Amino acid sequence: MEILIAIDDTDNLDSKGTGELAEEIAVTIRKRGWGNTQGVTRHQLFIHKDIPYTSHNSSMCFRAEIKPEFFEEIKQFSQEYLRKESADGSDPGLCIVTIHELKNHEKLMEFGSNAKKQIITKKEAYDLAKELGIHLSEHGGTGQGIIGALAGAGLRLRGSDGRFKGGINLPKDKTSVQVKELKNYDNLNEVMSIDGQIINDEEYVLINGKIKTVLLNHRAVLFVQPAETEDEGARWENCSKQYLRRF
Amino acid sequence: MFTDNIQGKMKYIGGKNEYAAAARTADHCPNFKLDEEDEMVADQVRSCYNCRYRRWTEDSFICCNPNSV
Repeated sequence: MEILIAIDDTDNLDSKGTGELAEEIAVTIRKRGWGNTQGVTRHQLFIHKDIPYTSHNSSMCFRAEIKPEFFEEIKQFSQEYLRKESADGSDPGLCIVTIHELKNHEKLMEFGSNAKKQIITKKEAYDLAKELGIHLSEHGGTGQGIIGALAGAGLRLRGSDGRFKGGINLPKDKTSVQVKELKNYDNLNEVMSIDGQIINDEEYVLINGKIKTVLLNHRAVLFVQPAETEDEGARWENCSKQYLRRF
Repeated sequence: MFTDNIQGKMKYIGGKNEYAAAARTADHCPNFKLDEEDEMVADQVRSCYNCRYRRWTEDSFICCNPNSV
């Protein structure tokens, strides 16, 4: 069965980031044979003076295809892991959505969208989770992280928000890569220009730094722009961090 | 590039899109600490925008390093 696991507010200025904890939960699910997981995505939420957060107010989420008999173990492991690994002074929250049991997809997605533009209370998050049949739990501090965790799950379900955690490092001597080769990497399904054109498999892309993808229409998309100078037959180059910031 | 905000914290006056200035400021900062890669938003690695101690606000960020002056 398919589930979404989202966590938020697990860190402080000196600790591991929330993304790293999400990744470690995903790795455990795979290593213990509980299921397979997709990439972790980072979802930017509302920045406002009345919202407590460490430094960026982002939530982390991943999708997993699990064996149903391991659901309880995954839930217990994730809860225990957050209790153990979350940083002092953090307010961790965990959300687990069983997609086929979710009573109203649109409501959860709308919650995610709202969390990007307005202040939401813990009560609103708990009320919605109860109504839709979603697991939501807090694991220290004020537990405020449940809001971001639920929002992260909604945004991941919508499928068009956030950047994938990590990225792809090419071998140092490689700067130009054919699109069809790029699409062999994990978390890279499509190459798209910034004006929305799908780049065909035969084209080449100049790669600067790490390859970072974003979640768009349920696909992991690498955004490219026209190359400043055409080199090695490549008409495109990957977009800068500054461009990807909007995701 | 900083000014005291109402909580007495150092608020960056360059906003969120002054990439060159944020890089110059970080170049001279002894407290700079690189944030994890997924939170980096500037192409210049050493930039206040990529620093673990920046806390984003609606229009800019504040520096949360306890040693900031």
